[in-house]
Amino acid sequence: MAEPIRYRVSHETVYKYTSPVDVSRQIAHLSPREISWQEVVSHRLDVKPDPGERTEGVDYFGNPYSSIMVDVPHDALVVRAESEVIVSPHSPAPGAASPPWESALAIPGVWDRTTKLDVEQYRVPSPAVPVLKSTRDYARRSFADKRPWMDAMLELTQRIRREFKYDTKSTTVSTSVEEVLELRSGVCQDFAHLMLSCLRSLGLPARYVSGYVLNRRKDGKDSNAGADASHAWVASHCPAHGWVAFDPTNGKIADTEFVTLGWGREYHDVSPLRGVVRGAADQKLAVAVSVVPVEDPASV
Amino acid sequence: MVTTYANPDGRFDELFAGKGVPRAHWSRLYSTLAKATADEIGAMRVAAERQIRESGVTYNVYADPKGHDRPWDLDVLPFIIDSQEWQVLEAGIAQRATLLNRILGDLYGPQLTMREGLIPPPLVFSHGGFLRPAHGAAVPGDVHLHIYAADLARSPDGRWWVMNDRTQAASGAGYALENRLLVSRTFPKLYRDMRVQHLARFFATLRDSLLHFAPRGDGAALVVLLTPGPFNETYFEHTLLSRYLGFPLVEGGDLTVRNGRVWLKTIGGLRRVHAILRRQDDSYCDPLELRSDSALGVAGLTECARNGTVLIANSLGSGILESGALLGFLPRLSERLLGEELKLPSIATWWCGEPAALEDAIEKMDHLVFKPVDRSHNLDIVFGNDLDEESLQDFRSTLKARPERYIAQELVHVSQAPVLSRGAEVGLEPRCVGLRVFAVATPGGYMVMPGGLTRVASSAKARVVSMQRGGGSKDTWVLSPGQVDTSFTLLRTTVTAADLVRSPAGLPSRLAENLYWFGRYQERCEDTARLLRLALSLKLQENEDEENSQLPIHELASENGLIAAGEDADRELLRAAVDIEHPDGMPRKLRTLQQVAFHLRERMSHDNWRAINGLLDEMPEDEGKAVPGALQWLDVVASRLITLSGFALDGMTRDHAWRFMSIGRRLERLLFQCAAVQCAFLHDGQSGLSWLLTLSDSIVTYRARYMTSPEWLPVLDLVVVDPSNPRSVLFQAGGVLDYLEVLERSYGPCGSDLLRPHVRFLQTLDKAKDLNPESKALREAITGLRGGALDLNDRLTRCFFNVRQSPLISSFGA
Repeated sequence: MAEPIRYRVSHETVYKYTSPVDVSRQIAHLSPREISWQEVVSHRLDVKPDPGERTEGVDYFGNPYSSIMVDVPHDALVVRAESEVIVSPHSPAPGAASPPWESALAIPGVWDRTTKLDVEQYRVPSPAVPVLKSTRDYARRSFADKRPWMDAMLELTQRIRREFKYDTKSTTVSTSVEEVLELRSGVCQDFAHLMLSCLRSLGLPARYVSGYVLNRRKDGKDSNAGADASHAWVASHCPAHGWVAFDPTNGKIADTEFVTLGWGREYHDVSPLRGVVRGAADQKLAVAVSVVPVEDPASV
Repeated sequence: MVTTYANPDGRFDELFAGKGVPRAHWSRLYSTLAKATADEIGAMRVAAERQIRESGVTYNVYADPKGHDRPWDLDVLPFIIDSQEWQVLEAGIAQRATLLNRILGDLYGPQLTMREGLIPPPLVFSHGGFLRPAHGAAVPGDVHLHIYAADLARSPDGRWWVMNDRTQAASGAGYALENRLLVSRTFPKLYRDMRVQHLARFFATLRDSLLHFAPRGDGAALVVLLTPGPFNETYFEHTLLSRYLGFPLVEGGDLTVRNGRVWLKTIGGLRRVHAILRRQDDSYCDPLELRSDSALGVAGLTECARNGTVLIANSLGSGILESGALLGFLPRLSERLLGEELKLPSIATWWCGEPAALEDAIEKMDHLVFKPVDRSHNLDIVFGNDLDEESLQDFRSTLKARPERYIAQELVHVSQAPVLSRGAEVGLEPRCVGLRVFAVATPGGYMVMPGGLTRVASSAKARVVSMQRGGGSKDTWVLSPGQVDTSFTLLRTTVTAADLVRSPAGLPSRLAENLYWFGRYQERCEDTARLLRLALSLKLQENEDEENSQLPIHELASENGLIAAGEDADRELLRAAVDIEHPDGMPRKLRTLQQVAFHLRERMSHDNWRAINGLLDEMPEDEGKAVPGALQWLDVVASRLITLSGFALDGMTRDHAWRFMSIGRRLERLLFQCAAVQCAFLHDGQSGLSWLLTLSDSIVTYRARYMTSPEWLPVLDLVVVDPSNPRSVLFQAGGVLDYLEVLERSYGPCGSDLLRPHVRFLQTLDKAKDLNPESKALREAITGLRGGALDLNDRLTRCFFNVRQSPLISSFGA
């Protein structure tokens, strides 16, 4: 049985502008979400220059966010998040017994008091996650009739890992699911959006999870793709298991190697930073992330 | 004269109860028309059309900066509803508005309607109008829906049905008001005698209710009307409502968020905005939390809405109710939420996202019309009976693939009403009609406008009634059961002497900036016309003095971008005069002036606007592009521009708005005059002087004063230091300084220090010693002024004007 793991996460974002910005307004989803299996021990968000205004809140999906406004002229904006979290094991093992995947479908046209809105809201398409015949067909190869849900989910996760090339150059933030399917390459958001489209096209509820993946295991061997930046994966709901998270970028169930910031329908709901600046002609972005396990969680 | 009016074919006829027998509430209008001669009726129509043109009522179908707006299409015959029928409709509309407001409160709150299965969750969750960041907003008074509009139509059996609910930012109330003004003037006696209910109380209630519900604090409550801008098809209505309600018309860029509140950027600083009457779709209202590609929004507005520091009418997210998919669920919702039966039925509608409904719809496709649930999907309306076998197959599979995107609606044969024929024959013609009615939230429930916008199909055959599709409109007369309530008149008489506004809520910065640039471009166009005229006519004259002047003129033309380096000067100058492709030429500058003017439309009279529209008319075609043709065209342009400046001189009140325009104008002329004098100093001042007088429009004055050929001392006196010559350098600089001093009394230092020392220096020059091209002091004075004027431009921009917002690139993970 795996142990809880304590992580120290730092995530620094630097924007550099070619001409000074007078006003910058940002919404940051950089604070880890408190979950039954994820304890947030500490969190701080530092912004330079000092924000003239700052408020904290919880968004529609239940994620913490910070709203920041910097209103002194500046040619660089630095947003640095430092968090410590303890992640406990929470996912079923890959071989866990599981009902047929169809049990996770809604009963068409039947809505009543047993309807769970928190599941239903993730069953429908969203702007970046369309429902498509092509992704449905792609998914169907893993979702044979009556196949156990866990088997089918894990196989789809691993197929994306196998059949798509991890390539930071091939896509941008606006690359569509159709294009990713065509290109057979992309980065974590692309694979997450693709898998969401696969699942929702089948009628399954699936949400986008934003967070971090452990850079290096304790044994110093295995390194995960997408570990030097913010990461993204997918969670899907099955009545028998609840929400279970899968990482198509690394082809595995997401468990204690993953630190969760929050979730939504797609990237845009929980992008780590989104904002509007006034005055800049052009801008450059640099992001640095480190996720380090702290040796003994019991010692604190 | 009614012989051409066809009998209805399977439709309800509004005018006739039986063949040739008008319904009781139409009979007065009918007999008036029957008694009138063809000439009288023709004159009525012409008079109304003239009024529409004169008051500039427009509906932009394809709005473009050249101003090709379509004049408002009004049929002068009113649409009449009797009082009993109206009472039923009124109660139905008010109930429906109450219900829809409750639904919004629930969807953006506890969501019990979805939890209990009254509304299918995917109907809401998959709709682009469900704005998650607006969930949980502290909506003042629990009113989400301040203005509600419903599109009604009457079926052959005489019953009224709701075809659409308009909950986002419904247009039409202002056009209804304009129609009333026009039609009540056309039939003054009928209007009085038939006891038509007045509209004014509705608008007064709207104004008072918004003020009532708006949050308080930071001074007197300010309500603004948010418009997407002059490109919007109903921009005319925005300007009309803004004036009528007394709410400043603003664009997203005029507002900013600070300390969790919304503020209007005025030249005097920020003013708290308490309520926003929004005519912009909600998803475009905040680039930070809603559509990030919106250039029209106010970053941070959603957060203010969540915290209840600003009232937004209608609330962000109210567009979800425009999904026709809800229509079929309203009867049950009414029973559950209001405990009442739904009084006004919706047209039979099924959401195809429900499997049973989809099956039915596919079965009887040819009796149905299919409409998209979400306007942002850009799907077409499909009439089942239009499709041949093949397209029927195609549409069936489209529908099966994404059924949740469509509703199926019963086809209704809507009623017909008479319109005046447009042709040479005077007569009546039947047209399909629909009625848009409006309700406004008040502290005591919804109040329905006694009237509305009757919309008329574009042709006798058209079955879709839509302004976008080229339809027309009518005034709607709701008859009063007793005395007409006239406690409000259309022209407010409640303004007392103490209320007189000398300077409105504060001039929005964007408006000030546009006025300033309008002034600058107007002058720039005039200067360019004069310079090109001078340069092109050089060739045609044989005068030694003129030949000498070629060098400074070409130098000045180069400085103004008219001659590109290394190009043949004569050819370039001709191009600059007539070729729209020349980047700094006359036609391009005129077009820029038109574009700046377009953003000031709300401030322009119709005559003024027409003059601006016509600036580029009659530009010479290819054969006219020789020098004589070009000169003729420049003459025309010059006189048009003078007409235009006359409007500003005569037509504008001397307020800060006018001052910004005048500063722009004077500053531009100052820069141009300084440049001209500096060019005259080139080549040791040996280049002749008449050109400088001509360019400065001062030759007549000079001849009257001196009767000699131009000499340096008197010429420089006239064009540089003469304080009485409206073209002199000192006159411009002094004028700008005067305006700045007035602005500074209101707003503190804003740049007079940049010009004052140079003006003083110029005033103290020794005329005998310094008014010649060799004078170092004079040259310094001119250079100093030019620099000061350029610095002043930057200072004004920093002090008063806006800077654009641009979205930030997103961080892109791995």
